[in-house]
Amino acid sequence: MRYARLLGLIFVASLQRELAYRANLAFAGALALVNAAAGAATLAIVYGHTATLAGWHIGEALALLGAYQIVSGLLETFIEPNLAWFGGKVARGELDDVLLRPAPGLLMVSLGSAQPWRLWQAVLGVLTGAVGVAHMAAAPSLIGVLASLVLLMTGVIITWASRIALASLAFWAPGIALDVFFGAVWQLGRYPVSVYHPVVGWLLTYVIPLAFVATMPARALTRGADLTLVGRGLLVAAMAVGAMTVVWRTGLRRYTGATS
Amino acid sequence: MNTLRILGAYLRRSVLQWLAGRSFIVTLVANQVAPPLIGLAVWTTALPRAGSIASYYVVLLFVRLLTVSYENHTFSNRIYSGELADDLLRPHPVVLQPLGENLALRFWHLLIGLPLMMAAVLLVRVHLQATDIALALPALLLAAVLQFLFTYLLALSAFWTEQAHGVVGFGSTLIFLLGGVAAPITLFPPGLRPWGEALPFRAMMGFPVEIAVSGVTQAEIVGGYLWQVVWVATFAAGCRVLWRRGIRRYTAVGG
Repeated sequence: MRYARLLGLIFVASLQRELAYRANLAFAGALALVNAAAGAATLAIVYGHTATLAGWHIGEALALLGAYQIVSGLLETFIEPNLAWFGGKVARGELDDVLLRPAPGLLMVSLGSAQPWRLWQAVLGVLTGAVGVAHMAAAPSLIGVLASLVLLMTGVIITWASRIALASLAFWAPGIALDVFFGAVWQLGRYPVSVYHPVVGWLLTYVIPLAFVATMPARALTRGADLTLVGRGLLVAAMAVGAMTVVWRTGLRRYTGATS
Repeated sequence: MNTLRILGAYLRRSVLQWLAGRSFIVTLVANQVAPPLIGLAVWTTALPRAGSIASYYVVLLFVRLLTVSYENHTFSNRIYSGELADDLLRPHPVVLQPLGENLALRFWHLLIGLPLMMAAVLLVRVHLQATDIALALPALLLAAVLQFLFTYLLALSAFWTEQAHGVVGFGSTLIFLLGGVAAPITLFPPGLRPWGEALPFRAMMGFPVEIAVSGVTQAEIVGGYLWQVVWVATFAAGCRVLWRRGIRRYTAVGG
């Protein structure tokens, strides 16, 4: 509870800072709107030529796009402001300040600041998902919605853990910036993994579990609750957090600080 | 001739500078090739019998790597940091430096992306004819010029706003949606297709690809080339106007 309150205060302070630059805020909002519209327009063009894409109807694909935008919005709001270009921070010794704070280092390094206006992307994701549900042949069941929410939460946890694990590689090689690479792989999440070659689909499910970010929550929402799917999501999230913790702790031992 | 020598010097310098940052260029290449590869997967799933769609996206990989433009990073950041003051003192047009860096980055993108493109050509059955490739090459050159001018034009917004990266990002979204990356213009709904053909984004990306895969008629090729020339002239004039106005606003501290 103490940490939740701390994260809330960080969010409010970041929001107050950003409200000082309203023109930037409006521009960023318009940009997110254009990006969301571009995603939906692309689906509209694709479904103008086919009724289903790898077994997914347009309503289901929109629900998936919505889930992708929600997690992308949360990633951009809470995680990216802290972990972007992490290698430079390690090389310059900027972690000293964060690690000395009276709160868990991992929490402060990964969630110590926020870009609240990016939440607008998540709001647009909710709207896109709602439009998708409205276009579905049958309304989702209550259990399906709950399962989808649980899987969406596991998607956020997997994203958080993966991003930290990737950033932690900077402890071994601070010169290698994988931020752009992460962005490139992240783009694969906006379509069902069944669209890709089976090998790529397997990799996106079990090695880089991007399937749990959007495909699995959308599947639970559109095709009913599947407890096995929810169980797999929770297991993958737990494994991702466990692996990330090991990588983070091992890497942090190599950190020498700014003055040593 | 002197201008070309200076441009060549900037090109050589940038190629050597980026030699040290080649691991970062690998990530940039990955970011550039991701949308065409996703498009390839999506459209071959949606239209499994349309053989030319796979060829379209493989050629698009090539065009995309040869037209990359990052002037928001190579030029706008120099306006923000005040380094442009140094550039203004040099006895040649300022644009030569970002242009040299642009060509160097395209060289590195092509070099690093080449194995991937070879693999794509081998894995996907690409059918291209020599005459189509010959017809597409001038369109590719104009697309490369056009994309540099477009990105440079948007990057000049750094004289007025702190959002030059966002402005260029907005331009990239338009190229993605209307340039033939999200979907070939030939697959646009009939009502939208004339807009897609006339707007500058297809001229920057999809047009040379369409010629290379025999996706357009002779009349459409002539029309496409005319649009390319019109847009090159428009963006060149736009860059000139914005540069002159922007430089009057520019202030820098230092000594």
